[in-house]
Amino acid sequence: MDLKLLLNWRLHLMVIVTSMFAEWIGIVRIPLGPGTLLLLPLLYAFVIGVLFNPHLFSGMGKIIPKPVSSAAGPIILIAILPFIAKFGSTIGPAIDQIIAAGPALILQELGNLGTMLIALPFAVLVLKMGREAIGATYSIAREPNIAIISDRYGLRSPEGIGIMGVYVVGTMFGTLYFALLAGYIASLDILDIRALAMACGVGSGSMVAACSAALAEAVPASKDELLAFAGASNLLTYATGLYVSLFIALPVTEWMYKRLKGSRQEARHENS
Amino acid sequence: MKTHETSVDSFDAEALKELRPENQLGKTALVLAAVCVAAWFSNVVNGAPLLDALPGMLILYVMVIIGLVMGRLCPFYLPSVAWVSLISIIATLPVFPGSDWIIAQLAAVNFLAVVTPVLAYAGLTLTGREFAMFKQAGWKLVIVSLLVFTGTFIGSAVVAHIML
Repeated sequence: MDLKLLLNWRLHLMVIVTSMFAEWIGIVRIPLGPGTLLLLPLLYAFVIGVLFNPHLFSGMGKIIPKPVSSAAGPIILIAILPFIAKFGSTIGPAIDQIIAAGPALILQELGNLGTMLIALPFAVLVLKMGREAIGATYSIAREPNIAIISDRYGLRSPEGIGIMGVYVVGTMFGTLYFALLAGYIASLDILDIRALAMACGVGSGSMVAACSAALAEAVPASKDELLAFAGASNLLTYATGLYVSLFIALPVTEWMYKRLKGSRQEARHENS
Repeated sequence: MKTHETSVDSFDAEALKELRPENQLGKTALVLAAVCVAAWFSNVVNGAPLLDALPGMLILYVMVIIGLVMGRLCPFYLPSVAWVSLISIIATLPVFPGSDWIIAQLAAVNFLAVVTPVLAYAGLTLTGREFAMFKQAGWKLVIVSLLVFTGTFIGSAVVAHIML
């Protein structure tokens, strides 16, 4: 790490200005059909950052020189850590609720492993994606999951590109998609509505809100119960999700990726 | 690490290991201070005024440093994110001395405001190679994203359904 480049004042000043501007715009809610499209400051910060990136627009090199941009990647590994600390601090005070919430809530976290069972084979076998498929499919790609990928592979690795892609798509359309999906599956009347409410807890706050609101809309009689289940599940996702992702989901995804990639290469070998 | 473009192309696992925050505590402490200042300012808009948020930001800084030191000293490997979250959970448990005060100070720091600068850094430090990679995989990532959301939701719902 070249400290001179990492502590470049132009870079940090640019980040401060960008972040404050993004925070100033605030959360923008766009009603769209049955759900709401929710735009968060971190999305604008990313887009503004990309627009000022000297590698995309060489004119921007005057503001932040290319070598600074290239060398500053590791900063993200460090910058996510205060967020993780803030994140953990929401769990400590709620520890009694988390313990009381029961095994169903804890075990449904394992259901998140369903993510890779569907998405990973499709990404590798149909879309022929490389290692970015690991970052993209091991989790739902919210902030704690990004922190894990950034810590293990770096955000500029293929895995990092994969998770950032899913993160951006989730930030832009996740809320809407969860609202649509939950409402639709509830209308099919196959799964217990309380189970669906727990499944709403997997995402970011806005996803949880949209998802449980859609369920409450579908079954107005049990509205309070559904919102409580979704909230408790979301809390548990914060508490346990990091560890399920880290110790189960990521290793399993790595293992599955190797198997899938292996079989694909063999198949290609037979064809040639 | 050289600053030349080619050194970024050889950004492999070995290089990443050297860059692990806990392996260069001195440099990390300085860079961490810089990113905390960015988060501190970002927090002004939707969080609290600078002085009100100062104790909270300092607590976050100290928690991260303790987490990194733990990661450095510990004989087995746990990512620094796991250490930092563990420290933070323990410090905010009701049984932990002074946890009420810690929680009150951290309340001045907006949850989302801390992550806004991270994404700004991410956008500013992408390299040409990564833009090319995303261009290549962009539309595929949209399809995969929708599958990821569907799989997570249905997977969790099925497990919860069986448990109920």
